[in-house]
Amino acid sequence: MSGQPVLELESVEYSYRRNTALRGVSLELKPGEVVAVTGASGCGKSTLLHCAAGILAPDAGVVRVDGQDLSALPEERRAALRRTKVGIVLQFGQLVPDLPLIDNVALPLLLDGHERGEAHVAARHWLEQVGIADDADAVPSELSGGQTQRAALARALVTGPSVVLADEPTGSLDSRAGQELLDVLLQAARYRGAALLMVTHDNVVASSADREIRLRDGLIQHEVSLR
Amino acid sequence: MATAELVLGLLSSGPAHGYDVKRGHDAWFPDSRPLAFGQVYTTLGRLERDGLVEVVDKTSGGGPDRTVYALTSKGRDHLADWLTDPVPPAWGSADEVLRKLVAAIRTGGDAAGFLARQRASHLRRIRELRETPADDDPTSPLVREYIVAHLDADLRWLDSALDRISEQRGAHQ
Ligand SMILES: Nc1ncnc2c1ncn2[C@@H]1O[C@H](COP(=O)(O)OP(=O)(O)OP(=O)(O)O)[C@@H](O)[C@H]1O
Ligand SMILES: [Mg+2]
Repeated sequence: MSGQPVLELESVEYSYRRNTALRGVSLELKPGEVVAVTGASGCGKSTLLHCAAGILAPDAGVVRVDGQDLSALPEERRAALRRTKVGIVLQFGQLVPDLPLIDNVALPLLLDGHERGEAHVAARHWLEQVGIADDADAVPSELSGGQTQRAALARALVTGPSVVLADEPTGSLDSRAGQELLDVLLQAARYRGAALLMVTHDNVVASSADREIRLRDGLIQHEVSLR
Repeated sequence: MATAELVLGLLSSGPAHGYDVKRGHDAWFPDSRPLAFGQVYTTLGRLERDGLVEVVDKTSGGGPDRTVYALTSKGRDHLADWLTDPVPPAWGSADEVLRKLVAAIRTGGDAAGFLARQRASHLRRIRELRETPADDDPTSPLVREYIVAHLDADLRWLDSALDRISEQRGAHQ
């Protein structure tokens, strides 16, 4: 079972109204694998991640999470799969504005029917892991960009996903704080055997991957092993 | 240094005099120090001794600058290997990366493939440095951060070089 890819993209294409962002991208992640997606601004990295997360539905091609074709699932099952199997850290804010951090982080568990006390224990654990336990009662508007990013990471990891998708996970942090957060992400992924797909401009982040996939103009330009 | 390999690269388009090799080098690298004649001839002599180049013509009575050199097949293989292998990431390695890239483009080699392998080699080195356990030498984090910052700068340049090469390739199609 562990040899099966947890995330598969097959010839995925995606166009926004006027821009073609992906022109046929295929990739596979096995459990425990860490892959960095790099490339110039606008080459399609975020679009790729959004397709992998099921946030965008590809115009052509297939996305499979744990062997399940996302487009073949009814919306409700797709949402549930996304909530439980996929942890997502987006490039731009994704926290609920007026909700204290502890609840923001606990949210995926609450939506999945977990009991509130239990969800808060898990949320507190992850807030500690990412180094912002002291801000548990703050609301997102009171946070710095770096704290927001830490909270988003805690929320992505709280369900124990088998695939973690992260778009510029260290983007608004200085290099030292960025490396600390990267270590949390890597450890969480390794500890759980989760596959990790990170979009990044940061070479230190990319260097921690097993493979680099470089996009150019909506296509894979090269894929190199870093092991 | 990579002078020997550059000389092989300069001979890859056909036999030439030492003088042409020098001029070719200075045209490939207009911003670097010109190649000295003496260095061209000692390099050609060494390459000939090692069987990487051969003398194909010698105008009688002329000096060393009348000798025409050509790549041997061994020399061609050596050049191809050099253009394929990434430069081990060490202090000052960026210059050699640039030399290889220019030589790869000038000789019609796989510049994009080379850049991809070089990126991987630099990224691996950053990870190694990051994974090296801390010791109690107070200078080691400083040295490590210095090396990582320079590898990072090289990587940014490698990245834009990859984009530039692909753009140029796209424009020529
Ligand atoms: N919502 C949108 N509507 C229209 N076009 C879009 C939209 N989002 C992205 N695009 C376009 O699609 C292409 C790919 O965008 P994408 O956001 O995937 O790039 P990226 O690689 O993530 O860039 P960056 O490094 O700047 O985050 C770009 O040309 C972009 O302009
Ligand atoms: Mg993006």
